[in-house]
Order: sequence, then structure tokens, then C-alpha cells
Amino acid sequence: MLADKLFGSTLELLGKSIDLRARKHSMISGNLANAETPGYTPSTLDFEAELKHAVQTKKGKGNSTPPHPRHIPLKGQAAELEAVRGRVMEVPAGPAGRDGNGVELEAEMSRMMENQILYNASVQILAKKFEGLKTAIRDGR
Amino acid sequence: MDFFTAMDVSASAMSAERTRMNLISSNLANAHTTRTAEGGAYRRKDAVFTATPLAGGFRNALERAGGGVRKVAVSGIVEDPNPPRLQYDPKHPDADPQGFVGLPNVNVVEEMADMITATRAYEANVNAAQAAKNMALKTLELGR
Repeated sequence: MLADKLFGSTLELLGKSIDLRARKHSMISGNLANAETPGYTPSTLDFEAELKHAVQTKKGKGNSTPPHPRHIPLKGQAAELEAVRGRVMEVPAGPAGRDGNGVELEAEMSRMMENQILYNASVQILAKKFEGLKTAIRDGR
Repeated sequence: MDFFTAMDVSASAMSAERTRMNLISSNLANAHTTRTAEGGAYRRKDAVFTATPLAGGFRNALERAGGGVRKVAVSGIVEDPNPPRLQYDPKHPDADPQGFVGLPNVNVVEEMADMITATRAYEANVNAAQAAKNMALKTLELGR
């Protein structure tokens, strides 16, 4: 298909990355919101390894789509990029304070910054990709 | 699950922290109040924060099952059960027969420390909301 050749898997990967980073931002916001709630355990979205695995298996083998995005792919079948959802993990931070709250404001803020920078990076690369295509369409002018 | 979720969550925390700030102001303002509608000296008030799952929607229910995002809500306002501070002042109109006045169980220094914590938590949430806004705006610039 022309569209597949035109956009390749980079576009799909960047889109997924942006999507997951947006979800991760929501999780971090939830942790910051509950920074003063007794007994709250912070959680985060872990997807980097899963995404990497999906990209690598896709490169190695042909992409056979499982019938449903939430189905577990059979052995030998490529884990589809589309199926990467990330895992919600409770952060094993330091000991919770006296009120049982495990949120560390500094750690959450730095995680938020990191996530934001990587999000912006993905958006920027995506913009550059489109820009390059536009340049090609306009015959380099 | 989108940026408005993140902003919603941050907004819930901002309003909760504002409630706490109002209570701290009330405690500081009434640090020497000896008469209240309920009778006796003013009692220190504090907000109880509870983590609550996001409301509504089947999709949100799915997210909840996976231990998803939780916002914060003020589930109640409690009074400090500590007894009033007694001060010997026989000339005071509210003094008991022994000459002691029951003053509010408010510790001004503690309230000031609480105020700083509330301010910082509020700022952190403003930052998170701003980050969500900037990310959304950045995405809108795509294809410009």
C-alpha cells in the first residue's frame, strides 16, 4: 500500500509513543493530586520495554495481526505496536510517611519533566517527518 | 483518557488544597476565639483528603480495574479532638470559677507550616496542569 510506504512504521511508533506519554502524564497528575492523601501509593505507567519489544519483533518478522488488539499474540506472532498498552505499576518509592502516603513530590516532578520532554521530542520528530514529506511533494521547493 | 483527564485531576487537587488553605485561614483567624455557636472555645479544623477514582464511563471503569488515575476529594472536615488550652485569666468574661479561660487548641506555628505545605502542593498541581496544556498545544502545532 502506498500509505504504508509513505509513512512507514515510524509514524505509527511516534503516535503510540505520544499516546502513552499522554496517559503517563495523567497518572503523574494523579500522584501529584494525591500528594497529601493519607494511605495513597503512587503509581506510574511502564511501557518503554514493551514498546521496544514490539518494535523489534515487528522488524524481525512479518506483522501478523491478532484478531483483537487485546488478544495475547501466539508464539511467533509479532506483538503489534497497536497492542502496546503499558502496565500500571505501583512505584516502590522510599518508606511511606507516617500517614502512609508514598508520594515523593521531587521524584514526581522530575518524572513529569522527563515525560514532558520525551513527549515534545516525539511531537517534534513527527512534525519533521511531515515537513520532509511536504518538501518532497513540493519538489524540493 | 486525554489531557482533559490530567487537567481534571490537577484541578481537583487545586480545589482540595484551597479548601485546606481556607481552613488554615479560619484556624489562624480564630486562634484566640473563646466563643462559638456550639459553645466553648473554637476548635482547630482540618480537611480529610481521599483518593477517588474518576467518575463515569465504561472506559473509565476499565481503567479503574487496572488501578488507574485517581483524583482527590475532600471527604470531610474534622475538628481536632485535643482539649482547649487553659490559661489563667480571672478577669476574662469567659473564665471558669477557678479563673481559667479555655483558649482554642490552635498552634499558630503548626498552622504556618501547614500553610507552606498547602502552597507548595498547590504549586505542584498548577505546574502539572500547565505541563498538560503545553503538551496539548504542542500537538496542535503538528502539520503547521
